[in-house]
Amino acid sequence: MSDRRLIRETSFDLTGKLFRVSWLYVLLLCALAGVGYAALYSAAGGSPEPYATRHVMRFSFGLVLMLGIALVDIRFIARLAWPAYAASLALLVLVARMGHVGKGAQRWIELGGIQLQPSEMMKVALVLALASWFHRASWERMGNPLFLIPPIIAVLAPVGLILKEPNLGTAVITAMVGAVMFFGAGVRWWKFVLVAAPVPFAAKIGYGYLHDYQKARIDTFLNPESDPLGAGYNIIQSKIALGSGGMWGKGYLQGTQGHLNFLPEKQTDFIFTMIGEEFGLVGGLAVMGLLALIVLGGMLIALRCRNQFGRLVALGISFNFFMYVFVNIAMVMGAIPVGGVPLPLVSHGGSAMITVMIGFGLLMSAYVHRDVEFEDRRDAV
Amino acid sequence: MREPPDDPRTGPDDGEPTPPPPSDMPPPRAPAFRRGAARDDAVPRIETVRLTAPDLKRRAAMAKTRRRLGFTAIGFGVLFVAVMLKLADATIIQPLQPHRPERPIAQLLDPPKTAGSVSPARRATITDRNGEILAISLPTAALYANPRELIDPADAAHKLKSVLPKLDEEEAAKRLAESGKQFVYLARQLSPREQLMINALGIPGIYFEPTERRRYPMGRAAAQVLGGVDVDGHGVAGVERFFDQRLHDDPTPLRLSIDVRVQAVVRDELSQAMDEFRAIGACGIVMDVRTGEVLAMVSLPDYDANMVGSASPDERFNRAVTGMYEPGSTFKLQTAAMALDGGIAHIWDEFDASRPIRIGRFTITDFEGKHRWLYLPEVLAYSSNLGAAHIAQAVGAERQRAWLRGMGMFNRIGIELPEVGLPIVQPASNWKEVTTLTVGFGHGIAVSPLHVVRGTAVLANGGIMLQPTILAKSLQGGGHLDAMPANPTQPLPPPPGERILQQSTSDTIRKLMRLVVTDGYGKTAEIPGYYVGGKTGTAEKVGAHGYRKHTNVAAFMSVFPMNQPRYAVYMMLDEPHANASTHGYATAGWVAAPAAGRVIARIGPMLGLLPDIADADAIKQALYIPLQPGRPPGAPRTPPVAAATPEARPAATGQRAQRPGQPIPANGPMTPVLRPAPRDQRHQAQAEPPAAPPTAAVLVPALATR
Repeated sequence: MSDRRLIRETSFDLTGKLFRVSWLYVLLLCALAGVGYAALYSAAGGSPEPYATRHVMRFSFGLVLMLGIALVDIRFIARLAWPAYAASLALLVLVARMGHVGKGAQRWIELGGIQLQPSEMMKVALVLALASWFHRASWERMGNPLFLIPPIIAVLAPVGLILKEPNLGTAVITAMVGAVMFFGAGVRWWKFVLVAAPVPFAAKIGYGYLHDYQKARIDTFLNPESDPLGAGYNIIQSKIALGSGGMWGKGYLQGTQGHLNFLPEKQTDFIFTMIGEEFGLVGGLAVMGLLALIVLGGMLIALRCRNQFGRLVALGISFNFFMYVFVNIAMVMGAIPVGGVPLPLVSHGGSAMITVMIGFGLLMSAYVHRDVEFEDRRDAV
Repeated sequence: MREPPDDPRTGPDDGEPTPPPPSDMPPPRAPAFRRGAARDDAVPRIETVRLTAPDLKRRAAMAKTRRRLGFTAIGFGVLFVAVMLKLADATIIQPLQPHRPERPIAQLLDPPKTAGSVSPARRATITDRNGEILAISLPTAALYANPRELIDPADAAHKLKSVLPKLDEEEAAKRLAESGKQFVYLARQLSPREQLMINALGIPGIYFEPTERRRYPMGRAAAQVLGGVDVDGHGVAGVERFFDQRLHDDPTPLRLSIDVRVQAVVRDELSQAMDEFRAIGACGIVMDVRTGEVLAMVSLPDYDANMVGSASPDERFNRAVTGMYEPGSTFKLQTAAMALDGGIAHIWDEFDASRPIRIGRFTITDFEGKHRWLYLPEVLAYSSNLGAAHIAQAVGAERQRAWLRGMGMFNRIGIELPEVGLPIVQPASNWKEVTTLTVGFGHGIAVSPLHVVRGTAVLANGGIMLQPTILAKSLQGGGHLDAMPANPTQPLPPPPGERILQQSTSDTIRKLMRLVVTDGYGKTAEIPGYYVGGKTGTAEKVGAHGYRKHTNVAAFMSVFPMNQPRYAVYMMLDEPHANASTHGYATAGWVAAPAAGRVIARIGPMLGLLPDIADADAIKQALYIPLQPGRPPGAPRTPPVAAATPEARPAATGQRAQRPGQPIPANGPMTPVLRPAPRDQRHQAQAEPPAAPPTAAVLVPALATR
């Protein structure tokens, strides 16, 4: 079997790697970006400008980036994990000090003309760092509470910085990404309970120390419909648009709520509502099916990996993607209160698209190098 | 994807030295780790593998992770299903409808229950044509006291201060102590909560008087139309003032012809265009060409009708009816119609646009002109001032004045708004030949935008005079139109009313308006399927010293669909500035026509008009008119034109050469250039203004009413 020979080699050639890329998975991603093109074409009122054309250009760039990363040796990526984490943390500190204030919160930073959202980069870097840490862990060591302290700090530091931005939604998602990495690595169930149990009490105490305007902000965040002219307006309009779609939708380019500008941010956060209005329940379920296939594919890649690092990276990236999808779709239906999360590869917007494609590049690298052995595995002993 | 086995034969460390296993580790037991592997695949090679303790630990962790991956996948599945169920709930099980109260809000409000007082009838609600509330009176209470019944004025004031923080306690105590009075106002417009809390204080001698407060839920949407009310609830402007007595006496809602959705679209597009071209103001009107109902009337800048008191005069100024502007080239439609209707000119007649007209001290020219004789359709398509002036000359002052008077251009527009202004027109005694010529292309006369809209609507609707109205006439609109004729190429039957021009003239004008959009300067307004027709108009504004260069009023007067006209859309920008996207032109074809097109694309579906693509060829055929129509055999040459232009017709008439290298602007500002002497053609727009106004155009400060 050729697989066995590959394992022994420190690297195999580029053609071999290209053959090992899961092109079916790439096809799924292209299909999702195609859905995005169609939806953005409609969001612009039946025109490729100004969203759809740029969407395709960004996706093409992202695809090249993804395949480039996929060909990078996973062991090299593992070595870069902690430097990447440190860089992301530094960016988060930077954004706290001099970030561009966009949409009411300091989240963006200008870097050579590109607007970056360091909190998005942080999620990927955190996945890498934790995967690298737990890769070195033997099962026995996992039982040692002291061994868990550094990764917990590695999660809490960025979460705290993101909370300060303030971006409660992303902070919670980042914490959950960390938690899933711990879970995947095999940390015992009761430890999660132990960590999670005091959170509500801590939150309640913390809430008491806040200023009134901060409390109001959190209240609106948790219950947007209490503010129907402000934050709740989007959700209510989104629900009306979805409700008007019904089973089969109003037809492509026929969505009145979206096209008449009743639906705000239809090209970014509320793109799924556009799809739901124009294609109805059936269209919405079809898109969700496609998204589920992509998540499932990521999980299968995780299972297929024979090294712990690749497996954990695949898990973390899949989970991160899943969180985008879940939070966005649940948000547009008013099921959960988070705002400002795009639907990856469908929504208009460059920063999220590039971050997600970098993530898929790492996932694909894990798949391409699914059978490689790490030389440093003995460090774990 | 096949689930991969954790295959023991992949042990990689065959050639490497193995450290001794730590004492606390169990000895390696290979078969334990073959879970999930295909047994026949693994068994034969198993004896060649040597496993070390770290391997085992690693494998244990991997196996653990694999189980955990399973749990995670299940978690994903559960959440996905939950979201899918929620989607089903949001789309088909319990779809959320736009909130509509079962009864109008006005009925939901019970009359305020105040002891011992009879509540006066509230001022009537104002709604749009679809029943959306534009103005409503909400019950509030005013607080008053009878000082004679008070026990302790200072204590009462102190207690009231605890509920009403804005109350001046000392002042209130002083007034309450005036025992000579029986009635002292303390506060107005209390909220129900404040009223309740004051009641709970239980101060004897404190009473409430039911009052009301006028609210405009749509805020700025139709501010100048609605006007506003003063503190006593009397209308101070707009509909509120015009119908003040009616709103006071009759509590049934007053239904306006405004459609707030159309209003919002027009306002949205106007303000975007205003920002884009840095204009100082803008005006937009949508009118039903069959009934005269005004569906939208926007004037920017505007104000929040709830705060009419703090609005500036500029914001309160309703450009649509109060602003008197020289209509500019949009008036050429009237000139063409009067000539065609009177049989004075035919569409195949040609007019001399090859040379400037010198009359008295003034010279009329075309900006970016063709410098040749133009057929009548070309005069409109290329918006030639010279051509229009020649047509007007052929018509003559008398017939021109009679026509314009019949079109209502000399009188107030008569819509139900107190702000309607009087057009600025030369009296007959001062209507000189130059006036006839300049009015032919819309200068030397100033009318309101609504005048232009009404005049154009009459030309397009089959020739029936209209009285513009702000009140809804029919439930659906559409002007007594029971059903659309099956044949989209047939004009609609004319609405009832007084006919002031022939049906055939109207049919020709419809084709000419369509020509302006298909082949002329109005191309940027084209919306497929709506057969937009229109006319651009860019007029230089008049300042203290004559026409101000580069200070335009750019308007686009359109009607759609041209095969069966239903709605007129007028979009005007006051002092737009060119930008890169318009190639340096601040003219109507570049700044106003695209906005009109966008409005039509957005309001068409709202008004129940779907783009008709299926019949495109037939409609195109029905609306076709050539730019240079051939003279039908036997048709007479038109003597009036020849008489009006005594100069010998140049031999080169047939020569249709265009000047090479000259760009065709979307619409040159076809500004009349009235100036003492001709100059280089390219610089006429920058030429000096007329020295003395009275002989030529009426120089009207366009915003004199400000």
